[in-house]
Amino acid sequence: MAAKAKRQWPFWEFTLIVAILGAGAWSSTLSPYYLSVDQLFGSTRAFIIPGLLALGLAVVVSLGEIDISLASIIAVGTVTLSKFSAAGVPLGVSAPIVVAIGALCGAFNGLLVAKWRLPSLAVTLGTMGAYRGLAFIIGSEVGYTDFDDSYLWLGSEYIFHGIVPVSLIVFALMAILVWFLMHRTVYGRRCFSIGLNTDASWFAGVDVTETKIRAYALAGALAGLAAIVWIGQYGSARGDNADGSILFVVTAVVLGGIDINGGRGTISGVVLALFLLGTIRNGMGLANIGGPTQTVVLGSLLVAGVLRPAAAAALARLSNPARLKAAGPQGVESSGQE
Amino acid sequence: MKSKILAALGAALLVVGLAAAPALAQQKTSGFKLMMTPKWTGFPYFELTGEGAKAAATELGDTLVYAGADHAEVSLQVETLQNFVTQKPDGIILAAIDLNAVAPVLKDARKKGIVVGTYDADAAVPARDLFVNQLSYEQAARVMLDAALIDAPEGGEIAFIAASPTSPNHMAHIKIMTDLTQKDAKYKVFKPVDTQFANDDDAKSYDVAVNLMQAHPNLKVIISSSAVSAPSAARAIEATGHVGKVWATGFALPSAIKRYLENGSEKAFAFWDPWELGYVAAYAVHQKLAGKFEPTEGAVLDVPKAGKFTTFKDGEVVYGKPLIFTKETVGKYNF
Amino acid sequence: MSDQPVPAEAAPSRNLVQFVLRLREAGVVVFLVLLGLTFGLLNDRFLSVQNLTIVASSAAILAIAACAQGVVLITRNLDVSVGSMMGLVAYLTADWTANHPGISPAEVVAIAVVLGIGLGAINGLLVAYGKVPALIGTLGTMSLYRGLTYIYAHGQEVSSSRLPHWMLESADIRIAGCPIYVIIAIIIVMAVAWFLYAYPLGRRIYAVGSNGVAAWFFGLRAERVVMFAYVLCGFLCGIAGLLYAARVGTVNVVLASGWEMSSLAAAVIGGVSVSGGSGTVIGAALGAVVLAAIDNGLVLLRVPEFWRMFIQGAAIVAAVAVDALIAEAIRRSTAGRRR
Repeated sequence: MAAKAKRQWPFWEFTLIVAILGAGAWSSTLSPYYLSVDQLFGSTRAFIIPGLLALGLAVVVSLGEIDISLASIIAVGTVTLSKFSAAGVPLGVSAPIVVAIGALCGAFNGLLVAKWRLPSLAVTLGTMGAYRGLAFIIGSEVGYTDFDDSYLWLGSEYIFHGIVPVSLIVFALMAILVWFLMHRTVYGRRCFSIGLNTDASWFAGVDVTETKIRAYALAGALAGLAAIVWIGQYGSARGDNADGSILFVVTAVVLGGIDINGGRGTISGVVLALFLLGTIRNGMGLANIGGPTQTVVLGSLLVAGVLRPAAAAALARLSNPARLKAAGPQGVESSGQE
Repeated sequence: MKSKILAALGAALLVVGLAAAPALAQQKTSGFKLMMTPKWTGFPYFELTGEGAKAAATELGDTLVYAGADHAEVSLQVETLQNFVTQKPDGIILAAIDLNAVAPVLKDARKKGIVVGTYDADAAVPARDLFVNQLSYEQAARVMLDAALIDAPEGGEIAFIAASPTSPNHMAHIKIMTDLTQKDAKYKVFKPVDTQFANDDDAKSYDVAVNLMQAHPNLKVIISSSAVSAPSAARAIEATGHVGKVWATGFALPSAIKRYLENGSEKAFAFWDPWELGYVAAYAVHQKLAGKFEPTEGAVLDVPKAGKFTTFKDGEVVYGKPLIFTKETVGKYNF
Repeated sequence: MSDQPVPAEAAPSRNLVQFVLRLREAGVVVFLVLLGLTFGLLNDRFLSVQNLTIVASSAAILAIAACAQGVVLITRNLDVSVGSMMGLVAYLTADWTANHPGISPAEVVAIAVVLGIGLGAINGLLVAYGKVPALIGTLGTMSLYRGLTYIYAHGQEVSSSRLPHWMLESADIRIAGCPIYVIIAIIIVMAVAWFLYAYPLGRRIYAVGSNGVAAWFFGLRAERVVMFAYVLCGFLCGIAGLLYAARVGTVNVVLASGWEMSSLAAAVIGGVSVSGGSGTVIGAALGAVVLAAIDNGLVLLRVPEFWRMFIQGAAIVAAVAVDALIAEAIRRSTAGRRR
């Protein structure tokens, strides 16, 4: 079963690639400005921050859990950075501390979820508010903007003749790191096995609690890193930073093929989903299509994306009930190539 | 190695091209490409400013694109602006959600020769060429207090509802209003007692208004610079039986508060003409592009259909035409 | 002890479970009382009848939304489109009403209810029959419904002067000092609670949520039950959207945005488990009262806004933790008896 499940994912990734190319082609007909190297690289900047959150969330979701407090952790990170910047602390010192604070916030979520076995959606709904409140308490009423230039580099500079954003490189490195962690290490196998069957994993000797806390801490740390990128990109630390962006992140993770119940999915799928969403939003944005229409298109896409396996299964059931299991992956493949 | 050189050449060509574009644009007097984004689309106030700007653009022979995200999130606004810059417009007009967060992309736009004009809510000064301010902060504060004086000439306790602690104009209004009640004899009858936040959300504003009346039994006037909160406060007063005891005022679209003025539960609200504000903002950016207006201190922007507007420090063009609506006048306005 | 017949043993343990389930609701009540006493001690106006009426009236509509969310949660699903459904229903209904001045109140209610049921049914089809995970399916319709509201509204809002007088005035009716919509909310929540408790279909909602596989073996068509839960949720959201419109008086495109989270928070504080099968809609409604009481109390105490967010977030975590402790207590006590 696991082998079969593993076999079907490349098809989903293939579908995503086809969809990205399709969306790119569509975008280039929408706007003459779409197809330019500068533009394409530049537009990725808008998706680095949700992208970093999506990488962390993917790990958490692979365990069958969820974390909707990540955007609030960004705000805790940005206001903390503003305090460090105001105190003249060099970025070399403050950056690791902020990433650690992010990890701590994440680990606290993990502790509540794994150690005390509380439902993750409810817990992180609570900490979402609590961390947001904390960010306002630390940051007080006024925003801070007087950042030292060194604080801005990561999120604002371009390299390779000013074409490739530094933050994109950071994202790529993190994506490779998380991909390696999830698909090439024991830790990753444990995450997926817990997501598939927690009890069986526990009996097999996997320390479920520790694995989960680490996943949450990783997601939190990536949110801390995203806070540093935020400061570079927007140069503004306020309690309401990144408010409301978490639903887009969840969309990316799910569209990337991570099973919301855990146990299945790939990091490459998540990265591709980010590119797909980014391409569509970039194309529609350049064509000056209004926000509401974009919202409707993205919503429909999400529904269509998740209905796909159900539709494929229904088709398979209709065509030959007896061969249901064997037909599953093939059904996915045929629908993917439509 | 070769590809690197090619890339460098490409980049160099692009830079030359970009530098050339505005140089050409400077010689034009019409046919500019303007792009405009509000804080968020779907809110009647911003839609009206968009219509006004479109009207100005049409009259002046320019084209104007009005687009934006459907909720006020700064990262989405920056994305919209980034997409604007890519489309190489001659001018950008915006109402900034976070004055500093939009600064990097706007500075980039200005480097490329794009004229940046803000309206409604300003961006950081170096990030834009001009700011068409509907009312100066002090003027806004005075207008709201004047409206409060119509409600409660005898004075008393007043409370404020702002959108959030991070909304700069609301916080500035409140600060100046508080100062005025201490320094200006005309407004000394008022005593500010509380400030609450309602995130431009109508139900939250309603509840906040009710809670304020509860927390301060002697409250006389609830003042809000938020066009969402002021009508909700009026509704809360009407619905909880505080009519005649507590008054709501502040900035609100006439259509939103017509009911309360006509049924006598409120006496006065203030605002400005958002259509004309958008019109003037687009006009100002056009004139700057055409080389007919330079936003230096003391310069006068002449808009034939709207009036003459003086420029203050840092390129702040004050539109400054407050309107006070009362039962008698509210019917005149169709927005 | 050990030679007691099996059925006799099963009975007290079920009673115990029922007792603790009731206690679980009592948990919110205790929390509410403690909260009330704390605020009451710090500010003498908090516990006045007038102020408690205010708390009830700010909680009323959220209580209906929380009740809607609760029904879906009990089936071990989730509906994050609650706010968007309310917004779309309220806008379409208000706009229709504004454009047809002679319309009767009954017709207005009918429009809102039918729209709500329709939107809920779409969610139900996706989740129950499309086998789409609830979070994702309703996340999609959340964007869809909200986006459609914007596109339909086309930059307009329905202001109070365009709505018929009776609509706003009926929201201002007070019975014995209590706003009418508080009474409507109480009736609705009670009716839904009674339905879930006393009717077979209501019991099935619990059965599907607490153990879907077992329910299936008992011959329950889980799809139909889940579908029904979403339709009921849509129906309640339709009513809540209409009441919201009548209460606030202005209907704009952002109406009730963010209520997916508030309704979820209220339900969770009220002891409805996100893992399905346990909790009551009365608890969910009381959760809404807790949130409103915190809002109101902190304004009375003049506590800054930031602390409100922090305190509400912490309250959610605390409520979830208490819920888990109780569940653990049940598990231990029943396990002990079996031994």
